[in-house]
Amino acid sequence: MVDKLEAVTRNLHEEICSIDTRKEAEQLRIKYLGRKGIINDLMKLIPTLPIDRRADFGQRVNSLKSEFTNSIETLLQKMSVQAVPAVKAELFDITLPGKPLSGGKKHPLTQTIDDMKEVFANLGFEVAYGPEVELEYYNFEALNIPADHPSRTDFDTFYIKDDVLLRSQTSTVQIRIMEKQKPPIRIIAPGRVYRPDTVDARHSFMFHQVEGLLVDEGVSFADLKGVLYQFIKGYFGQNVQMRFRPSFFPFTEPSAEVDISCSLCGGKGCSVCSYSGWVEILGAGMVDPNVFKAVHYDPEKYTGFAFGMGVERITMLKYGINDIRLFYENDLRFLSQF
Amino acid sequence: MKISYHWLKEYVAFQLSPQELADELTSVGLVVADIKPVEDDFCLDIEVTSNRPDCLGIIGIAREVAAIAGGSVHFPETNFVTADTSISPLITVTVEEPILCPCYSARVIRHITVAPSPEWMQKRLQCIGLRPVNNIVDITNYVMMETGQPLHAFDLDKITAHKILVRRAMSGEEIVALNGARRALFHDMLVIADGKKPVAIAGVMGGKETEVSEVTRNILLECAQFEPRQVRRTSRALGIASDSSYRFERGTDYDGIDRVSQRASRLIKDCSGGEIANGAIHITSGRHETKKITLRMEWLHKVLGTEIKSDRVLDILKKLSFKILNDTENFIDVEVPSFRSDVCREIDLIEEVARIYGYNKMPIKTSISIRGHTKNRYEIVEDHVRQFLIGLGFYEVKTFSIVDASPLQSINLWLDRTGIEIVNPLRQEESRLRTSLLPSLINVKLYNLNHGTEQIKIFEIAKVYLAGNKLPLEKNCLSLLSDADFLTLKGVFEALLRNLGVVSLCEWIPFNESRLFRDGRAARIQMGNDLVGYFGEASQELGFKEILCLVEIDLDVLVEKVNFAKKYLDLPQYPAVFRDLALLVNEEVTWSSLEKCIIGTRVDFLKELKFFDVYRGKQIPAGKKSVAFGLCFQTKDRTLTGEEVDDAQQMIVDTLNRTLGAELRKAVTV
Repeated sequence: MVDKLEAVTRNLHEEICSIDTRKEAEQLRIKYLGRKGIINDLMKLIPTLPIDRRADFGQRVNSLKSEFTNSIETLLQKMSVQAVPAVKAELFDITLPGKPLSGGKKHPLTQTIDDMKEVFANLGFEVAYGPEVELEYYNFEALNIPADHPSRTDFDTFYIKDDVLLRSQTSTVQIRIMEKQKPPIRIIAPGRVYRPDTVDARHSFMFHQVEGLLVDEGVSFADLKGVLYQFIKGYFGQNVQMRFRPSFFPFTEPSAEVDISCSLCGGKGCSVCSYSGWVEILGAGMVDPNVFKAVHYDPEKYTGFAFGMGVERITMLKYGINDIRLFYENDLRFLSQF
Repeated sequence: MKISYHWLKEYVAFQLSPQELADELTSVGLVVADIKPVEDDFCLDIEVTSNRPDCLGIIGIAREVAAIAGGSVHFPETNFVTADTSISPLITVTVEEPILCPCYSARVIRHITVAPSPEWMQKRLQCIGLRPVNNIVDITNYVMMETGQPLHAFDLDKITAHKILVRRAMSGEEIVALNGARRALFHDMLVIADGKKPVAIAGVMGGKETEVSEVTRNILLECAQFEPRQVRRTSRALGIASDSSYRFERGTDYDGIDRVSQRASRLIKDCSGGEIANGAIHITSGRHETKKITLRMEWLHKVLGTEIKSDRVLDILKKLSFKILNDTENFIDVEVPSFRSDVCREIDLIEEVARIYGYNKMPIKTSISIRGHTKNRYEIVEDHVRQFLIGLGFYEVKTFSIVDASPLQSINLWLDRTGIEIVNPLRQEESRLRTSLLPSLINVKLYNLNHGTEQIKIFEIAKVYLAGNKLPLEKNCLSLLSDADFLTLKGVFEALLRNLGVVSLCEWIPFNESRLFRDGRAARIQMGNDLVGYFGEASQELGFKEILCLVEIDLDVLVEKVNFAKKYLDLPQYPAVFRDLALLVNEEVTWSSLEKCIIGTRVDFLKELKFFDVYRGKQIPAGKKSVAFGLCFQTKDRTLTGEEVDDAQQMIVDTLNRTLGAELRKAVTV
């Protein structure tokens, strides 16, 4: 009997080794483990053995059975992995380009506005909007620009009706917000503005501005410098220098224009900065008491500052774009560069 | 304002090179835009802001230099000896409009010889870009550039009836100005007239007829002040601007008039050999009050955020010619010099102190309070939409809000409101506010096509403008254009809605606007009572060879529908059962009616209905189509049995048959 067991064991090993396919393995499993399989046949022999040898024989058959089960399972598993037909040995060029997939892009002006919004958001400024078609009052009188004032020359304007115009500056939003809210106020207002300028490489009858306003008790010119300092470092980079120059805007007093060191030449002087080493990027100042009066704020109680900048201008400086018209032609070869 | 470097040195001593001078002037607010060498001199081009008319004369610049460099200003010679003849029989002056002409000064200089002006004067004028004419004209220009006060010389012998009248123009009057322009005058304009007719447009330009010429022997020298707004209005209305009107518009120095007249008379006498008639006519009206301002040191420190010592403050104010009336520890009372029309309030004084002290010397404070920032809903949605579309390969564009009046641009999808015209357009191409973004997107498509980019996917977020009561309605729109067919772009739109958490169902209603959309391939999209937008393939009239799809969405409505609140739903524990059906229906039967009908059966374990395709072919009879779709059945609490799914499917098929005449072509158990 033991001889028979050993013969079966030997055959089994030979047969397992000669298996090539899944089908053969399956057949082999049935041959040994099936109901009428060889291992079962061996089990049936147990009652014919003397009692004292039954246990030992039974154990050996069982261990053969589990050994075989393991081997055949392992084999089947291996084969299922190998079932994928072997790739012929052709050379795959891993340097071929990937399948083309084009992502879109935000318009460069949106990117600039978003970047600015982010820097100012960190300083607690929220975004505010106002109408583009405005009452003359918001564009001029409330901003301390009376009718026939020479400073109106700087703000030529498209008119819709006698007292309705296309805003020529986003400063209108200052008034709209202050009329609605009490201080403290901390907003930026991005948006489209319009001026009747003949279109050329530097001018456009429509462009974008970002206006900022902060009003509270005890706000000073030094705070204005602080906020713009943070903005300039945050937006243009840590190495950029800033310079304040006195200027004039009817709605701020004192007023300033702010320059940064020319990023192109590093302040040495080049054609972009007209060989001065500085480029103007924004106008700012302390809110004029007359503006506070227009919105019924007490100018003895509150002080504040405002600033405004041209989005096109800053985007052009940042990327070295030399023609403002490119922003509105929307040539994909242009848009895809940003 | 152009100045000569050496000319400036005549009034103030300083040790600065032209470049250093330019830097210093720039730092106090007089931006030097350009320095140009002219022979042995330099011409500095200074940008003078509109609040500083006092700096439209070299003496004004000299005052600033004195404040910076610490010198004092030397005023030019004005004394002269007059002839015995009195001015009074030679001319009479009447000012009828004292409000529009608060001050009028006249001098008469006789027996002059009109000749070229001296070489030194010509050189200076040329340096700043003025063309020398003759001694009289050059002197009026020279003195204007020196002092900022315009002057005018009339040929006295051409003044009818020895009479000057400052009055409003009468209807029907006209004038030929010095520059040759003939203009009709109106009653709201101020003129200088003689006994018969206007001889000058007050503050704007003299008349050709009374111009000083080679044969002029006697002149009337006018030096006056005109109301700035009046000058500005007249100059704009007539389309005539001059160096004089530029200065009058900004305001001239009331107190300086007589001295300027004397200065010019002296020069004319020196250069033309004439004799100055005894006396001057000087007509002034009203009282010109000097301005007195109190500066509170505490307020100065509060506004500037820094302490500036009172000695320094006093020093700055004095150097800028402010008269110190009183100074205590806490207050400084000053009298404002007459030429500083811009300084009226305490805050203006604070600016003066800050300006000269140096903006860049002031501290940078970064101690503002902490403030949380929240995005508003519109902003959040806008960012989201942009990000989503970019991810799908769309490029954002920006196009002009002001468009032409072409039929395409006149399309108004939104309401029956008219578009808005601009009263003063620059060109017809930009004469009205747009009522749709789509025509601009079509133009962008054309532009790119003409520049070699065949395929584009673009979008814009911007406003359309619809006539309203006082102000128009400004509607935020989102528009897309893509080289894709209807269903492809509809897929983008639907994915966007899902992404924004919009759950309201869209109704797609057939829409006709054949200038924009292809007939039968366009829809108005409605969510309940809200109009969401318009969608369709581009009209053949637009002339594109390939299929193009357009959509314009009311972003404000969409923002209302957005729902970013999210709640987790348990993942299904029991298997879903799928059935694919193909139904034969009449051509007119729409998917949405099938969908409504199926949902209407209220099979509570029907979890999803998924459209596959529409088939028309050999096996399908004419007038019919085969619509294939999948049904997914699933419940939360148990495994569905085959029978209940069969029953539900049968019920659905029966209902579709009954209500829409649909016949089952094929059913597949997946």
